[in-house]
Amino acid sequence: MSAASVTVLPRRTPPSILVVEGDVRIRCRVSDELRAWGFKVLEAGSASEALTVLDAVPVDLLFLALDLPVAGSGWDMVRHIRERRTPTKMILTCGETDPLDSPEPFVRKPYRVAEVAELVARTLNWHNPPQA
Amino acid sequence: MSTSSTHLSAEANTPLQTILVVEDEVLIRLVIAEYLRECGYRVHEAVSAEEAILILQAPEVSVDIVFSDVEMSGEMDGFELARWVRANMPETQVILTSGAERSADIAGTLCEAGPLLKKPYHTQEVVDRIKQLKAKAKRF
Repeated sequence: MSAASVTVLPRRTPPSILVVEGDVRIRCRVSDELRAWGFKVLEAGSASEALTVLDAVPVDLLFLALDLPVAGSGWDMVRHIRERRTPTKMILTCGETDPLDSPEPFVRKPYRVAEVAELVARTLNWHNPPQA
Repeated sequence: MSTSSTHLSAEANTPLQTILVVEDEVLIRLVIAEYLRECGYRVHEAVSAEEAILILQAPEVSVDIVFSDVEMSGEMDGFELARWVRANMPETQVILTSGAERSADIAGTLCEAGPLLKKPYHTQEVVDRIKQLKAKAKRF
């Protein structure tokens, strides 16, 4: 079968997303929006919490804030995920630094939660937008 | 964030209750929050009492019940959070849980659902306490 003839079908089982964000109100809003799209959403408030979750639960995508309370811990997480070579995808976000050389998708803060959910859905081939 | 009043539970066609889970051990928080969502509750999560207060103060959030651990990292513990809720949001009810032997008297004055829920707890015990609170609230 040639590559051109392969059709990527939409997923049927909800992908799991780990939202890593130190600001609880942002974490709460983006997690609620992703749940409304049908994703299974896990929440972590710090890099150390995120690593604990990643060791225990398979995660399809990490939505990771680089500006976590412990300085540099967001970038440490990025390096850790890249080194582990897991199938976990990443979308990065930050209010201050624009990581121009990062291969991962990046969303600058402040963002619209719907914009994040759409990007996550595209990244994971998930077609289940919330009902109006 | 939409408020709880915009959601209806499939089970009883009544407004969906919103629970705020406050727990600094991420895997415990993850399990109980997920279980409560599967039971049909709307759930917010906080890592600490300080985060819990930020959520409770958010104008777009309406929390019916706070389910909080007592021993937590940060400036405030669960007892102090319960006192804050009592003082600032008396309509919000509190269930406390702890792994340590603590005075039931202290918890009794702060929790409408009776004594402190001892860790390790079965997830269904939390749901039972929530239902007890709901039933009690209907009586008054």
